[in-house]
Amino acid sequence: MPAIEIQRQMLPMFPSPNQGARFYNPELPETEPFVPGHRTCAGCGPSIQYRMTSKASGDNTILVGPTGCMYVANSSYLCTPYNVPWAHTQIGSSGSFTAGVAAAYEAMIRKGKWKGAFPNIICEAGDGSASDIGLASISGALYRNHDCLIICYDNEQYANTGIQASSRTPYGGMTTFSPPGPTIPEAKKLFPKDLARMMAAGHPHCYVATASVGYPIDLMNKVRKGLNHKGASYLMVYTPCQKGFVYETPRSIDLGRLVVECGLYPIWEWNPEKREFDYSFRPQNMRPVSEYLKLQGRFGHLHAEHIATLQKFANEQWRMMKVELPAALIRAADAKNLVDMASAEAAAAIAETV
Amino acid sequence: MSTKGTHIPDWLAVPFAGITPAPSQERGQDLFPTGNWRAIRPVYRDKMPPCNNACGTNEKIQGYLDLVKRGKYLDAYALIKEDMPFPSVTGRVCYHPCEQACNRGQYDEAISIRAVERFLGDLGQALPRDVVTAGRPNGKKVAVVGSGPAGHSAAYQLARLGYTVTVLEKSPKAGGLNRGGIPDWVLPQDVLDREIERLVELGITIKTNTEVGKDVSWDELKKNYDACVLAVGLTEPNSVRADGEDKHGVVYGLPFLRDIGMGTSKVKLGPRVAVIGGGNTAIDCAREALRQGAEEVTMITVEGNTSEMPCVPEDLHDMVAEGVELMHGRAMTAALGNGKVEALQLCRARFSGAINASPIAVDRESPAERFAVDNVIIAVGQHASLPWLPDEFKNERGTIRIDRFGRLGDTNFFAAGDVVQVGSGQPLMVVNAVGDGKRVAFNVDKVLRGVPLQERMVPIDVITDLARMNMTYFPKFPRVRQAMLEPASRRRTQDEVIQAYSEEQATEEANRCFSCGTCNACDNCYLVCPEPCIVRSVRSNGLYKILVDYCKGCRVCIEECPTGCLEGVPELDFDTGVVRMDTAFAITPGLHGRQAEELRRLPDKAPKDIENWR
Ligand SMILES: Cc1cc2nc3c(=O)[nH]c(=O)nc-3n(C[C@H](O)[C@H](O)[C@H](O)COP(=O)(O)OP(=O)(O)OC[C@H]3O[C@@H](n4cnc5c(N)ncnc54)[C@H](O)[C@@H]3O)c2cc1C
Ligand SMILES: Cc1ncc(C[n+]2csc(CCOP(=O)(O)OP(=O)(O)O)c2C)c(N)n1
Ligand code: SF4
Ligand code: SF4
Ligand code: SF4
Ligand code: SF4
Ligand SMILES: [Mg+2]
Repeated sequence: MPAIEIQRQMLPMFPSPNQGARFYNPELPETEPFVPGHRTCAGCGPSIQYRMTSKASGDNTILVGPTGCMYVANSSYLCTPYNVPWAHTQIGSSGSFTAGVAAAYEAMIRKGKWKGAFPNIICEAGDGSASDIGLASISGALYRNHDCLIICYDNEQYANTGIQASSRTPYGGMTTFSPPGPTIPEAKKLFPKDLARMMAAGHPHCYVATASVGYPIDLMNKVRKGLNHKGASYLMVYTPCQKGFVYETPRSIDLGRLVVECGLYPIWEWNPEKREFDYSFRPQNMRPVSEYLKLQGRFGHLHAEHIATLQKFANEQWRMMKVELPAALIRAADAKNLVDMASAEAAAAIAETV
Repeated sequence: MSTKGTHIPDWLAVPFAGITPAPSQERGQDLFPTGNWRAIRPVYRDKMPPCNNACGTNEKIQGYLDLVKRGKYLDAYALIKEDMPFPSVTGRVCYHPCEQACNRGQYDEAISIRAVERFLGDLGQALPRDVVTAGRPNGKKVAVVGSGPAGHSAAYQLARLGYTVTVLEKSPKAGGLNRGGIPDWVLPQDVLDREIERLVELGITIKTNTEVGKDVSWDELKKNYDACVLAVGLTEPNSVRADGEDKHGVVYGLPFLRDIGMGTSKVKLGPRVAVIGGGNTAIDCAREALRQGAEEVTMITVEGNTSEMPCVPEDLHDMVAEGVELMHGRAMTAALGNGKVEALQLCRARFSGAINASPIAVDRESPAERFAVDNVIIAVGQHASLPWLPDEFKNERGTIRIDRFGRLGDTNFFAAGDVVQVGSGQPLMVVNAVGDGKRVAFNVDKVLRGVPLQERMVPIDVITDLARMNMTYFPKFPRVRQAMLEPASRRRTQDEVIQAYSEEQATEEANRCFSCGTCNACDNCYLVCPEPCIVRSVRSNGLYKILVDYCKGCRVCIEECPTGCLEGVPELDFDTGVVRMDTAFAITPGLHGRQAEELRRLPDKAPKDIENWR
């Protein structure tokens, strides 16, 4: 039997929008697999991510959506914003479902029942689904190396059910399951599960990366890299949720930049061939975490010591990325140099990155 | 919204919530009107960039920088030529008020607009044929008196409008102060010659050695032309009213430079030269004196320090680099010597008022100083000479009386340039004269066509607050510097001091422009909308559109627009067929009323299915 050649889409990378001093986005695909009329909140970060991802992926795409805002808020009365094949799955089974789709297409191609390029199969799971309820099934899909891209759109909580803490909710983040009070003034005591790193460590043959809506072209390129990678890929994308984070809607992209500039969301790639992390991504500035925290109501209760704890965490992330810490950030990790959130006029120490 | 892959049974093909039309198998859902959530509507509204506003002739600077970014140099040149006849000249000589106003100056360093302008001007000079052509002849004749920047600009615009233009110039060569003021090492004469050729190519007649008041009379102007623009400039130097100003060796800056420019100079400078004055003309005189052979040149100013001097700081810096000494807080009170000046008498002095034009207060108490010189060049401003002008049109300042349109009474005479701007508080400079000439030309045209005249443009919403733009998108980037001859090699020659940009340098510098307040099609709004409800037919300014039926008013697009051309306006009314949720079930005409009717008919449509379903 002759070997079956699986035709892959191999989408090209976008050039950087920064050409010298000029900012100008590269030519973007015309196609719009994500259409308006859906009912996510105004300024919804996950929606921004979904749109960018699907635009990068194109028309020959199949989307899988476990329960969460991107299913419940999005699809109403028989309609969805997805103009490509899309299926809702039970919140815990997105990995198995996606694996099934990928395996089915491989089989159909093998049997000559599907002509044309292998579709881009993308699972868009919320952090609740990806880090808690559906972790096992996603890990299974990654481990078995099905040809698909699994994205955790990370809004750091269970948003759709009214903002409950997930294992991705950051230290200090207020949710309905982690309210601040006299016993636990910082609201959430635990640090977030290091999900993407866990996926890279546990499934080293996969392409794994983190991204943020604050860097759209980087995000779209990582989507394409993940799709071009033969086998399973995993992306964890920071997607702010205005309802849960409690911020002014225009800030959605801005927060996506700030979280990276503060060191709370390191952006990296895992290279499955070399089996190593690539930490070369550098934001334009480095800022103290307070600049990010102060924009969000969910951190409004924090005291100086909690902010210092978060700064220490951020500083560790910078060290992990082998970035030299400016003195201002080391100072900001000491509660003596900080003020409580309620009165916080956060220090505006900005240092250029190296 | 899409229904791709979903089977829609008949009984479910119904409108929802009284607002949204029924979905169909083929088209999905046309309208889930999320636009009715919106309290603030994003709108595209271009603002006036501060550079365009500050330019004396309102060149569309942002526009041509944007074209240069895209490599469309010829379009950029054509755009600049709308307002500026000779970018090759202003690209060299302009005092660049645009750069002082440039928003990038608040951020790192202002855009080197003049250098890009020169790049485009030189490109235009190299073209075998100019991009600008004369208008269809309309049979009317206009005289322009004076061929300086104001006259040049007026003649240029009038020729483009189809007038037959004759320029009358009293000097042997055309160009006004561009030739007989601004030195060759700033503006080489062949560059100016080429621009004057371009005027001739537009069909303009230039009559040199023709002085109004001598060769042509006021009445002849009136009789022979349909209209006339007086752009006669300020041709007479001011004196410092010192004793002995008539001595040999005392020269005035304006004729000194003029004669050098016209090639008729007979002045031979001695080794020690003093220049009186602290403005740009004085700087030109001091630097020219070095080139005319002077060994020691000292500039003597009433201003107490360099920061008070009314001059372009870069030029002052370049002068000092060439070796000119400065002496501040002194006034020349006498030229001493026997027939020929041998020394100056200097007294401590300051301006009595705030501005440099106010009377000088000389300190008679402190002892006068003696300052040995071979020559002194006096450069303290100039005034007009208008013996031929009928008295009724003279004003108290000894210049031409005009109305706010630049017109002399209800005649067809207009005036423009230094001759009307002197004393108005407007700085006297080439680009202001060019702008004045342009505006007056348009008003000449209006008078001759019998349509209402127009005042100087009122700027609307100049965007100067960086907080209205998004600076995140602009990394700090140093200005691209123009190469310059070294002081030691340039101070004795007429070689052009400042060198031109290469093509790469011009684009690199244009790339630094923020495009303040004006969409430059960066696609960011299009990319960040969560709906997405921003569409564009073509990627170009003015062709972005927001689907207001869907826009929820999150304002992410506004926040992320780098140039600040998107803004939010409160939603007062919905005029696009979308109605508010709270009125969804009211029976009103229009879309939702119609649907309410459909809803009422629902039970007739699928009684059985619905019953089973319940
Ligand atoms: C030494 C010097 C250097 C300068 N350098 C700069 C510079 O680097 N950058 C800058 O922006 N500005 C500079 N300026 C200012 C600038 O040159 C003037 O603002 C500008 O030239 C004014 O233009 P205008 O057309 O009104 O007058 P002018 O340029 O003075 O032109 C008037 C013309 O009218 C002619 N004329 C006068 N009377 C008659 C008559 N009766 N009949 C016929 N023709 C007549 C004159 O011969 C002259 O050619 C400088 C000025 C001086 C004096
Ligand atoms: C097994 C199961 N448990 C609980 C739920 C209820 N539920 C529906 S959506 C949701 C939130 C999912 O959170 P996440 O995956 O982070 O997506 P988000 O809503 O934040 O987009 C939950 C808990 C469910 N549908 N199924
Ligand atoms: S709750 Fe958050 S994630 Fe859900 S639709 Fe609203 S903004 Fe988006
Ligand atoms: S940045 Fe560009 S548009 Fe803005 S003022 Fe400067 S030159 Fe003009
Ligand atoms: S980003 Fe989209 S939804 Fe938000 S205000 Fe702009 S056009 Fe409206
Ligand atoms: S974001 Fe870019 S494309 Fe959109 S309006 Fe602003 S400048 Fe124009
Ligand atoms: Mg979530």
